[in-house]
Amino acid sequence: MALTACSSLISSQTGKLADGLTNAVLNSEDLATVEQGAPAYLLLIDGLIESSPQDASLLTTGARLNGAYAAAFVEDDARKRAMNQKALNYAKAAACARNSSLCNVQTDDFQTLQKAVAEETAIEPLYVLGVAWLGWLQAHSDDWNAVAQLSRAKLCLDRVVDLDEAYDGGNAHLYLGGIATLLPPAMGGQPELGKQHFEAAIRLSDGKNLLAKVIYAQQYARLVFDQELHDRLLTEVLASNPQAPGLTLSNLAAQDQAQLLLDESAEYF
Amino acid sequence: MRMKPFSLSAALALFFVLLSQPGFAKVFKIATVSPEGSGWMKTMRAAGKDIEAATEGRVKLKFYPGGVMGNDSAVLRKIRIRQLHGAALTGGSLRQFYPDVEAYSLPLLFRSFAEVDHVRQQMDSKILSGLADGGFISFGIAEGGLAYAMSDTPVTQVAQLREKKVWAPANDKAALQAMRAFDISPYPLELSNVLVSLQTGMINSVATSPIAAIALQWHTQVKYISDLPLMYFFATLVLEKRAFESLSTNDQNIVSQRLEESFAYIDQQNRMDNENAFSALQQQGLKVVNIPATDQQAWHQRADKATAKIIDDGLVSRDFYSEMQRLLDEFRNQGSSGPLAAN
Repeated sequence: MALTACSSLISSQTGKLADGLTNAVLNSEDLATVEQGAPAYLLLIDGLIESSPQDASLLTTGARLNGAYAAAFVEDDARKRAMNQKALNYAKAAACARNSSLCNVQTDDFQTLQKAVAEETAIEPLYVLGVAWLGWLQAHSDDWNAVAQLSRAKLCLDRVVDLDEAYDGGNAHLYLGGIATLLPPAMGGQPELGKQHFEAAIRLSDGKNLLAKVIYAQQYARLVFDQELHDRLLTEVLASNPQAPGLTLSNLAAQDQAQLLLDESAEYF
Repeated sequence: MRMKPFSLSAALALFFVLLSQPGFAKVFKIATVSPEGSGWMKTMRAAGKDIEAATEGRVKLKFYPGGVMGNDSAVLRKIRIRQLHGAALTGGSLRQFYPDVEAYSLPLLFRSFAEVDHVRQQMDSKILSGLADGGFISFGIAEGGLAYAMSDTPVTQVAQLREKKVWAPANDKAALQAMRAFDISPYPLELSNVLVSLQTGMINSVATSPIAAIALQWHTQVKYISDLPLMYFFATLVLEKRAFESLSTNDQNIVSQRLEESFAYIDQQNRMDNENAFSALQQQGLKVVNIPATDQQAWHQRADKATAKIIDDGLVSRDFYSEMQRLLDEFRNQGSSGPLAAN
């Protein structure tokens, strides 16, 4: 009993530490420090997970940090794939720890997964799984077996929006917008649905999620050839203050991307 | 003030001199439905950069990706009024300029990729020269793939497919005709409505390539692939002939060489993608349904009848078809004993 109490305390303390580290990384304005310093935290999280492999909170943190770090800093393809694989493994383990119907999300029949996701009511594991899955998919986009799993990742994010569209500042809408605008309408894409998702992501973050505007410009405005919207969104991003709770790191990366896209605008349109 | 004839002709002469200077680049405006960021667009943009560098800026390619210029017929209309100079199009959309461009898509023509390769090796150049006579310079053929029937229950016989609610691409006359040849009443739908229609049960069968089934995520709603290639399809990149021929011979050669190389690469890449996608479909749980020999025979008899009607109606020329059939017979005969047997 005392042992159980002790391990819960440790788990609770490591959970707080992990949350604190995540916030420190996601809120940092100093990209260079995060880039150089975060790997040590990632190792620490790996170690903690190894000691408590069923701890959903640690697993979720591990998934988030590995995914965010790979997206923001890793250029090398092999390393990107490895980090996204780790993020997905942690996210899958977190979902499985919470709900045994979600233990075989990659191999279950699609309709079985659909049912399990529809019955799940905890937002965080679904959200983290959906996001980690998309990161993994992007890093494996030359593998058709990975591309074939897009609908599975989408199921998770659709469910998040059903449960609480404002979760994490409406970020699930941003990912769903990206999915809807992957293909042009002539090839089965749904740009107008994507536009609704992007606008929801901007609205639900009070305009603070700058990545939502960048992806809106890159995926939607370019797809429908709307240069005015493209340039307006990107100019707004560059003029915005990147500091926002939980968004600073991604906002800084979004501003870099906005500048690149704006520089290409005349050539593209 | 009235302009003197001399100054007018001098001005015109100057204008033409200026036009011939390197500073006046020829910009080819090219439409495609491929989305930005796709392998296809990356390859074409790289070719465009190469061409611009090799012609020292005299020739530029400007792409309009993602179908922003409209569907194939809208794009062809824009080419006619010189708003565009070229496009990446499905083979069938160019039938009005050269009917035999549809010959590869005759129902059940090819039984394997090895057969496709054998015929294309001989016949691609005929299609390219036919298109040139029709007013379009093509830089090669890029494989779309072989379409297979994918369904919610196993399909081995024509009669079973007739019982199904089968999707056909809206506005695709060739596909609709092919299905009617098998007495299938298709459900014509836009691509973007197919997934939701599979989900709701409005349709329960599609015929498409493995790449498309995965890219559009239709594979999540079907369980079986019938192992019988129903139709081959491809795309090509064309430039309007007069626009292309307005370039110097040297620049024409540079453009041709770069675009032909890029298209050959895309062609090979699509082959690999389709083969990998076919495996991925199985990894995703789809079952491959083998068609018994007697059923295969029934499919082919039906297809032969449909093909005969297409030839009789003059939609594809008898000469072109006979030559393809001769090559296929040659391949099949060699295949039974020789080293060409594959796939």
